Amino acid sequence: MDHLLQILVNGLSAGAVYALFALGYTLVFSVLGVINFAHGAVFTLGAYFTYLLIGGPVGANGALAGFRLPFALPFWLALAVAGLGAALVSLLVEATAFAPLRRQRSDPLLTLISSLGAGVVLVNLVQILMGAESYAIPAGTLAGLPAAVNLGGATVRTVQLLLMGIAALVLVVLTLWLERSRSGKALQAVSEDPLMARLLGIPAGSMIRLAFAISGFLAGVAGGLVGLSVSIAGPYFGIGFGLKGLGVLVLGGLGSVPGAVLGGLVVGLAEALVPAEFSGTKDGVAYAFLFLMLMLRPQGLLGRPQSSKV
Amino acid sequence: MSGTPLLALTGLAVRYGNVQALRELDLEMHPGELVALLGSNGAGKSTTLRAISRLVRPSAGGITWRGRPLARASTEGTVRLGIGHCPEGRRVLARQSVATNLELGAYLRRDRQGIRADLERCYERFPRLAERRGQRAGSLSGGEQQMLAIARSLMGRPELLLLDEPSLGLAPKLVAEVMAILAELRRDGLTILLVEQNALAALAIADRGVVLEAGSVSLRGSAAELLANDALRASYLG
Repeated sequence: MDHLLQILVNGLSAGAVYALFALGYTLVFSVLGVINFAHGAVFTLGAYFTYLLIGGPVGANGALAGFRLPFALPFWLALAVAGLGAALVSLLVEATAFAPLRRQRSDPLLTLISSLGAGVVLVNLVQILMGAESYAIPAGTLAGLPAAVNLGGATVRTVQLLLMGIAALVLVVLTLWLERSRSGKALQAVSEDPLMARLLGIPAGSMIRLAFAISGFLAGVAGGLVGLSVSIAGPYFGIGFGLKGLGVLVLGGLGSVPGAVLGGLVVGLAEALVPAEFSGTKDGVAYAFLFLMLMLRPQGLLGRPQSSKV
Repeated sequence: MSGTPLLALTGLAVRYGNVQALRELDLEMHPGELVALLGSNGAGKSTTLRAISRLVRPSAGGITWRGRPLARASTEGTVRLGIGHCPEGRRVLARQSVATNLELGAYLRRDRQGIRADLERCYERFPRLAERRGQRAGSLSGGEQQMLAIARSLMGRPELLLLDEPSLGLAPKLVAEVMAILAELRRDGLTILLVEQNALAALAIADRGVVLEAGSVSLRGSAAELLANDALRASYLG
């Protein structure tokens, strides 16, 4: 049964990443009703920021070859700063790919394309500056913490515990914020009825920027942690996570915060149950599972049934 | 009436594409007045309110608030100035609790104690909302939702309340209840611009009335004059 415990831990920690990803999508979706396709690129940048901030050097292929920051932050601080940097990038995406179209009152669906474009630009920028090679955040980075602990027969890497812990913490904090705080309630009002929210004096623009900043922060932190957990596999590595995060979002129920987390964990576990000798089929299994679940429950696990407004 | 009006519309016109929804509307509202804006569906009543709240841009004419043009205000800005807008269809936030709906009505206010006091006063005025304060607003009956929508607007302490069709879809007894509340608010000094299809109910509590027909004013006068007007009786009062 040790084996099963190991699968469980692996699945839950992978799922935690998907959950952080999907939470970012969910926040933006709930205020705008569209998907931010640049989200994966923001995640990528969070990973690169973290790598640079701990003092990692740029490889030989980028325009910045050999560059390294004149300082090296401890991992925790680097992760937090990278999260803030990703939040800024996310705000930049909002200002360039979303706000101009919104001001012209164009169809919100158009932002699917403009945000995709913003994401491609960001990823290419990373590739130009830092090359296409992969980067690894050294394992000894978690100063003072053991690399792994033994938990009832399963080897749990510390970073896996971190991922699960942070995802749980984010879920709790985000839920409390949305349900209890003035700004959280205002964000929900914008989500439910943007016109009424304006008539209540809630500035929609600020709420949208807030959603982008938080979602960018979450993506940046998730990127840094994945960089530590499995390395940064080149500028495009956020895209794959981004697609899966999108699946998770739909599985959990569009716009549902607990749904995003549950969906992430379910997909993570489904992947982890694929035996090692078939690991090449992991993505296929995850998406097939998604497909089946949606056949049974089109509104997602915790989503409200979609009623089309006539 | 003397002094600067609270709100003044001069030659206000709105068009949606090729459709002229409102033309040449002149209207002044003085503090403490209850004015009924009457007319059938599509006459331009809601459009007038939407223009005042800056949800639509006028194609011509102007709106002033205390003598100052509103032309550059945002919708949030009009709320901040003291214009509360309780829109058509109530638009309570169905997924939020009654209490949250009311709190959000006071979103722009920072005086915590004042908000709490107003919340208590609101629960006194609307005891049914007090009973259901923890429930989702979507679970309330139509009449209760209308009360909640009005109460939520009041939580913003507006000086002028724009009220769009509060009687719509309500049983006669509830219509009377809503109108009684509006009459009470007027007595307390609130200025109200009331859009209604139910002309009889609205004129019973209004000081003055303006009747719109296909975007233009067809009749205006004191409530008593309008109630005595044969043409109006024939077309709207049945």
